[in-house]
Amino acid sequence: MKPIDEVQLTAYALGELSTAERAEIEARLQAHPEQQAAVDEIRALAARLEAELKNEPDVALTDEQRQNILKAPSGRLAHFPWRALSGFAAVAAVLAIAFVGSFRGASRSLDPQRAGATAVSRIEVAMADSPADRSKDHLQAVVELAAATPEEKTGRLVPLGNESLHDLAEPVAMPVAVAPVKELESAPRPPPLAKPMPIMAADASAEAPAFVNGFHDRSRSESDFSGALDKKVACRISDGRPASVRSFGGAWAPCPPAPDAPFVQPGNTESYAPIQGNAFKRIADEPLSTFSIDVDTASYANIRRFLRAGQMPPPDAVRIEEMINYFSYDYSQPKEDVPFAVHVESAACPWNKAHQLVKIGLKGRELAAESRPACNLVFLLDVSGSMSSENKLPLVKKAIQLLARQLTANDRVSIVVYAGAAGLVLPSTPGSDLATIDAALERLQAGGSTAGGDGIRLAYEEALKNLLPDGNNRVVLCTDGDFNVGITDSEELASFIAGRARQGIFLTVLGFGMGNYKDDRLETLADKGNGNYAYIDSFSEARKNLAEQAAGTLFAIAKDVKLQIEFNPARFDSYRLVGYENRVLAKEDFNNDKKDAGELGAGHAVTAFYELVPAGVESSPGVDPLKYQAAEEKPAVQEGKSAAASPEWLTVKLRYKLPREDKSTKIEVPYTGSFSDFENASGDFRFAAGVAAAGFLMRGDSAIPPLSFREVVAWASSAIGDDPNGYRREFLDLLKNAAVLAP
Amino acid sequence: MKRDKTQWIQEVVARYERPLCQYACRLTGNFESARDAVQDTFLKLWREDILDDERTAPWLFRVCRNRCIDMLRKDKPMQPLTDTHAAILPAPDKSPAEEAGLRESASLLLQQLARLPARQAEVIRLKFQHQMSYREIAVVTALSESNVGYLIHTGIQTLRQQVARI
Repeated sequence: MKPIDEVQLTAYALGELSTAERAEIEARLQAHPEQQAAVDEIRALAARLEAELKNEPDVALTDEQRQNILKAPSGRLAHFPWRALSGFAAVAAVLAIAFVGSFRGASRSLDPQRAGATAVSRIEVAMADSPADRSKDHLQAVVELAAATPEEKTGRLVPLGNESLHDLAEPVAMPVAVAPVKELESAPRPPPLAKPMPIMAADASAEAPAFVNGFHDRSRSESDFSGALDKKVACRISDGRPASVRSFGGAWAPCPPAPDAPFVQPGNTESYAPIQGNAFKRIADEPLSTFSIDVDTASYANIRRFLRAGQMPPPDAVRIEEMINYFSYDYSQPKEDVPFAVHVESAACPWNKAHQLVKIGLKGRELAAESRPACNLVFLLDVSGSMSSENKLPLVKKAIQLLARQLTANDRVSIVVYAGAAGLVLPSTPGSDLATIDAALERLQAGGSTAGGDGIRLAYEEALKNLLPDGNNRVVLCTDGDFNVGITDSEELASFIAGRARQGIFLTVLGFGMGNYKDDRLETLADKGNGNYAYIDSFSEARKNLAEQAAGTLFAIAKDVKLQIEFNPARFDSYRLVGYENRVLAKEDFNNDKKDAGELGAGHAVTAFYELVPAGVESSPGVDPLKYQAAEEKPAVQEGKSAAASPEWLTVKLRYKLPREDKSTKIEVPYTGSFSDFENASGDFRFAAGVAAAGFLMRGDSAIPPLSFREVVAWASSAIGDDPNGYRREFLDLLKNAAVLAP
Repeated sequence: MKRDKTQWIQEVVARYERPLCQYACRLTGNFESARDAVQDTFLKLWREDILDDERTAPWLFRVCRNRCIDMLRKDKPMQPLTDTHAAILPAPDKSPAEEAGLRESASLLLQQLARLPARQAEVIRLKFQHQMSYREIAVVTALSESNVGYLIHTGIQTLRQQVARI
C-alpha cells in the first residue's frame, strides 16, 4: 500500500476530511505506522499551537468605535464622522459633570452597564497650571461616563454623496450636551491661548494602563489618582512643547506610553521621495538654469524633529532649499510697482574657496492688513485614528485658533473633516465669529480611517460655494498625509487639485505628526494646488506659520514664479544649483505660461544659491574634460568673446503671473560681482551658506569637500544677527546635535 | 426589524471584536489601523441581511482582510501588486526593539510561527487561533481549499522540524 499523501495526512490529522476519506486513511495508516506517528506529532503540535495562540495578547476596539458601529442607521452605511459627534457630546457631558459637582461623586453615579446600547466614552480634561489650583476654571478630571446614545444626531453634519438627508430631519436629542454648552458660552472664557489649552486625550483609546487601573480601582485615594494625572500632564509639557514626544527606535511613541501595547508596534512608515543632488553643469553646454521657486519650509521642521530626538534625518528628508527658506533674511521690499524685489550677493564659497557662491533672493511685497483681500478659507482636517496623538489633531486645533485670530468679519471660515467619511462641521462662518469657530473645533475628535479624497472634494465644493471673486480662496489641508480611502490615485488627486487651482482656489498643506508622515505626497499636493506646504510639529511652529507669517501662508501675490539664470561663460566655467532638485525646469518651460510653478505669498522671501566655478580655475568638478569635443568647443567660446567683454556674471530672469492673471510678466536683473572673501559677506549670506552646507552634510552629499558640522557651526555662529525669534540659535543647537550624531 | 439587527450586530461585535482585531493587527502591523479596519468591517454589517452563525465568521474575516489589504495598498501605492497575497502580506517590518520585545514575550513556537512565510502563518493562525476549517479559510483568503491545505501542511511541517530541533 502506497504511503498516504502528506498534505492529505495533515488534513486528516487536523480533522478536515469527510467520513469516507477518514475511513480510507485509517485503513492505510495500519500499514504505515511511521505515518501514524506523524499524525500524532501533528496533533500534538496543533494542540500546542492552539494553546499558545489563545494566550497571545489581543486588542479590542475602543469604546467609542464600538459605539460608532452600533449607531449606524439600519440598512445604511455610516457616512458621518461619528467620532466628532460623540466627542462633542462627551466634552459637553464632562463639562456638565465638572460644573455640577466633584467628579468622583458624579462618575460614581453613572453606571455604564445601565446604559444598554449606550457606549462609554472616556475623556480627559486637564487645564490646570498647577495641581494645587483646583478652581472652577482650573478643572482637572478624568471622567468615565456614559454619553452619546445611538439616537443622538446633529444638524451640522452633512453626509457626502447622494444619500438622502433623512437623518438630519430627526429631532436633535442631546439633552446631556445642550445645557453645558450654554453654560460654557456664558461662562467667562479664559483668554484664548494665553493659558495652556485643555489637554484632551483626543485618542480615547490611548489610556495609559496605570490610568485605567487608577480609575477603576475605587479604593485608591484621590491623591494617588491626581498624582497620576499630574505626572501625565507634566510629562506632556516637560520639554516646553505642547505635544511632547519620546523617541522610540526609528519611530516616535506618544508620551505617555502607548496603550494596551499590541503585539505588533506600529512600524515607521514615513516616506520620502528620493533626492538626487544637482550636479555641476558646464556653462558652455547649458548656459541657462531654470527652476520654479519653492517657499516651503516643511523639510526644516521635519529635520529639526529628528535632530531633537537625537537622530540624523534620512537623507531624502533633507531639502536644502526648504532649510534655507525657513529663515528670514533682511531683504528690502520692492520699490516699484512690482510684486518682488531681486537681491543678488556673492562671495567666495566657504566649502571651496576657489569657487564663488551667489545668493539670489526674491522678496515678495508685504500686504498691509487693511489692503489684504478677504479670505474664504476652508480647513480640511484629517480626523482619522492616526491623527489622535497630541502633536496632531490637538495641535491642528490650536493652529486654526491662532489663524482665526488674524481674520476679520470680511473673511469666511469653514471646516470640513474627513475620516471614514467626510462631513462639514462648520459651514461658512464670518472670521470674526470666534465663538462659533472655537466651538466647532472643540467638537472634533480623531477616529476612523482616512478618506482624503472625499474630504478634498467636499472642501473644494464648500470653497466654491462661498467663492470670493476678488478674494483669497483657499483650502487648508491639515493631515499627517495618511490617506487611506477616497481619491487615492495620486495622479487623479493631483489633477483634481490642479484643476481647482485654475478656478482660483489654492491649497495650503499643513503637515502634522510623525511616524507615518507622508512627506512626498503632501509636497506634491501643495505644488499642484498652487500652494505652500509647511510642517507643524509644535505650537511655536504653528505660531510662525499661522500668526507671524499668516499673510505669506495665506495670500498669494504672484503665482507660477520661475527663475532662469543665464551665466556668462567668459567669467565662469560651470555652476551648480544648491537644492531645488525637484523644482528644476527645462529651459523651454521658462517662457511657457502653461507650465505650472511655485506661488509666492505676501512678504515671503525665497533664497537660492549657485556655486560657480570661475573660468580657468578647473574644469567641471567631477567631470573629466571631454576628449573629442574640446576642439569643437573652442569656436563657441571664441564667439562668446564679444559678450564676454561684458563684466556681468549672470542675469536673473524672473517670470511670474499675478494671482488672477494667465499671462506672465518678465523681470531681468543683471548681476556683476567682485571676488570677495566669505568673511566679508553679509551676516545673512554667511548664515544661509551655513544652512546650505549643513544640508549637504545631512544629505551625505559627496559633492562638497570634507567638512564637519563643527566648521559649519563656526561660520554660522558669527552670523546670527538679531535673531528676534531665536530661530537661528535653535539651528545652531541642532547642528551641535548633528555634530555628535554624524558618523 | 431594526431592533433585531442592532441586537445581532451587538452580539457579533461582542463575539468577534477581539479575534478580528488580533487578525487585523497581524495583517496591518499597526493596531490603530487594525481597529479602524475592524470598525469598518462591523459597519458593513448594516448592509447585510442577518447571516447564519456559521457564515458570520468567514464573512467578517474576509471583509476585514480586504479592508486591511486596501489600507496597506493605499499606504504603499508604489508597491507592485502582481500577486496580491504575496506582495501585500509579508510580515510587517519590525524594529530591532520590537523584535526583542517579541522574542521575550512569545514562546519559541510562536517565534517559529512568526518566521514562516506570511501566507502560511496567516492560514495557520486562522486554523489554530480562530478555529476555522480549511473551507472557511478558503473563503476568507480567496484561496482554493486545496491551496489552503497545502499551505497549512507546509507550515506545519516546518514547525515540526524546528520544534524537533529545539
